[in-house]
Amino acid sequence: MRDVDVSFDGSPVLRSLSLSLERGGRLGILGPAAGGKSVLLKLLVGLVAPDDGAVHILGTDISRGKEKTLMRVRRDVGMLFQNYALFDFMTVGENVAFPLARLGETEEGEIAERVSLRLRAVGLAGSETKMPSELSGGMKKRVGIARATIARPALLLYDEPTAGLDPVTTSKMYELIAADQAETGCTVLAVSSDVGALCGFSTELALMHEGRIRYRGPSEAIGDSNDALVRQFVSGKDEGPL
Amino acid sequence: MLGDRTISAAGRGTLFAWRELGGMTILAGQVLRALLPPRMDAPELLRNMYRMGNRSLPIIALTAFFVGGIMVIQAGVLVKQLNAAGLVGWGAGYAIFREVGPMLIALMFSGRVGSNNTAELATMTVTEQLDGLRALAIDPIPYLVVPRVVAMTVCLLCLTVLGNLIALYGGAFFAMVLLDLEFSTLYYSLVDNIHWLDFVHGAVKAAVFGASIAMTSCYFGISVRGGAVGVGKAVNAAVVAAAISIVMLDFLLTAVLP
Amino acid sequence: MSLTTHIEALGSKAAGAGRAGSRLAIIAAKSMSGVFARDSPKGEVARQMYIVGNKSVLFIAITMGFLGMVMVIQSGGQINRVTGDLSQLGPQFLKLFIQEFAPTITALMLATRVGAGIAAEVGSMKVTEQIDALRLSGITPTSYLIAPRLIACLFMGFVLTVIAIVIAFSAGGVSAWGVFGLNPTVFFDSSMVRSYDIAIGSIKTICYSTAIPIISGYCGLEARGGSEGVGTATTSAVIGSSFAVLLLDFIISGIGLTIFGGGV
Repeated sequence: MRDVDVSFDGSPVLRSLSLSLERGGRLGILGPAAGGKSVLLKLLVGLVAPDDGAVHILGTDISRGKEKTLMRVRRDVGMLFQNYALFDFMTVGENVAFPLARLGETEEGEIAERVSLRLRAVGLAGSETKMPSELSGGMKKRVGIARATIARPALLLYDEPTAGLDPVTTSKMYELIAADQAETGCTVLAVSSDVGALCGFSTELALMHEGRIRYRGPSEAIGDSNDALVRQFVSGKDEGPL
Repeated sequence: MLGDRTISAAGRGTLFAWRELGGMTILAGQVLRALLPPRMDAPELLRNMYRMGNRSLPIIALTAFFVGGIMVIQAGVLVKQLNAAGLVGWGAGYAIFREVGPMLIALMFSGRVGSNNTAELATMTVTEQLDGLRALAIDPIPYLVVPRVVAMTVCLLCLTVLGNLIALYGGAFFAMVLLDLEFSTLYYSLVDNIHWLDFVHGAVKAAVFGASIAMTSCYFGISVRGGAVGVGKAVNAAVVAAAISIVMLDFLLTAVLP
Repeated sequence: MSLTTHIEALGSKAAGAGRAGSRLAIIAAKSMSGVFARDSPKGEVARQMYIVGNKSVLFIAITMGFLGMVMVIQSGGQINRVTGDLSQLGPQFLKLFIQEFAPTITALMLATRVGAGIAAEVGSMKVTEQIDALRLSGITPTSYLIAPRLIACLFMGFVLTVIAIVIAFSAGGVSAWGVFGLNPTVFFDSSMVRSYDIAIGSIKTICYSTAIPIISGYCGLEARGGSEGVGTATTSAVIGSSFAVLLLDFIISGIGLTIFGGGV
């Protein structure tokens, strides 16, 4: 992936924002609520169209995307949505199998096998026939991860993978994401407001505030940033520019 | 067995209907008790009347205008058949005052105001705001429900009276355009044949429909269970119950009223 | 407020309405082409038919039964006052129900029952990002979600309208017999029904059953912001599709009267 260049001139959500990401990288994006993080992720898969600027993803320009280009690019992208976005009229198994069936995989046995492998990998072996409403929040997130990763996409987007989860489940969640990345070598972009967990997970961090990137650099160095706003966000202090 | 299942489903449905009817009756009792002597939150009443009346006026007016047109078109068929232009004003006016006006306006009002009201109360219930009121020693019935019931009854009555007028003008307009009738023909056909009781008949219906929409929408709003999904279900149940009660009460009132 | 701000507000409202109208038109076109794309999951059309048909049949039966009785009592009373000749009551009643009341009132009930359901379902999928997830998997939400509902509404709209006619006519006949002592053989007489009436009734049913799922689906897809957004979508679906039904009724009846002379 090269040159994810995004600019949204005059828009209150993202302001002339530019961001690029190495293939195989692990970038975490931090930021206070309503800072435009989710919009950024949706921009990357063409679910939101930019007013201005260009979005290149996996070598394809999708900013003036025709539906067809978008569809082709989206095949190589997996996404975990903030509210899991599990289809509540399908079972867990059907949810996880959904991207496969859409990619033209028709062999039923093959699909079932891959679904059960994926569910085992996220620690939910044997729950294929449950309905999403029977699961807890953490379990739904894990099903969401299984669905996002099953088609082995080249780029994975995680929107708040740990919001509302306890610290133990949070670290388990990141272990799961990391293990999956080690296996497939995909590029991971995670968005969260949980500083500690995201620092531990990603190799690089960026901080977004009011639609702009305020910091970009290695995870370990974020605490030593010259920007008072970044330091305040990371340390969680009361006084400061935020 | 299909037969067994159908019967047990019918039984469950009946029980469900009676339970909801019972719940609504209890709520109606509480509302009536709170009205004798009238004690309710006056600012809340005015706020509700403004919201419910003012905001639904455009859609009601548009509906009424076209309903007038529809009635005239239906009457127009009879005119062509029987060559009885003198009957159009009377036929359309009679139908609008007694039946079509109150009922269609009530159905629109239920869709606009009733469902909104259910959604609002249901959201308050699932986010524990009603319990919050109780914790502050405020009884939610006089505070939230009674003003809404009064406001809906008054608003639907006013909207129906106004809507009937608009429907008559709409009817006259389309009769002149589509049927080439004179305004005076329509006017005398209406004035000579319509009794003031026809008007009262419709007005009483409107008030009763308003109260019943209020009761169903408040009841399903405050008895909601189960989060955001429950809110959607409550809204759906409320509009359906309101429609059924409107048609049933229409039948009863037609039989009872002069 | 000064006049110019009023005009500006009006202008921006009109522009907003124009944009909404064009989005609605796009969704309508996509849903209709989606009917032929057969993009929806297996068995979805059948499931929607069950939801639209089975779950509304009792509702329609109750409302139409009462409506049939009311209509007979009201019009019978008037006829008794003027001529006293009730022999035309049944045939005219059937004619009027086939071309006007049965399609329109059934559609109004479906707009409340089914329209609200579609908007609530699609709307909650929208606010929980399920629609985004569908699009991410390369699926057009219109052909996946709205098209099967459209097919189901078209089919079930017809079936329910026929049921409505049968029930209202029977209930009307029974009450004419009970209230005015009218012989059922005089009431149950279909000699007044022309093919024109059936054609108008069918056209109305088709138009209503197309409008309801598309407008409600549009309201659902436009939902924004949590459960409150779903509530707003539901309300506007009910109002929008009810109003569309009345407007279509007016247009179709008007065309029927002015161009075809009301079938006389």
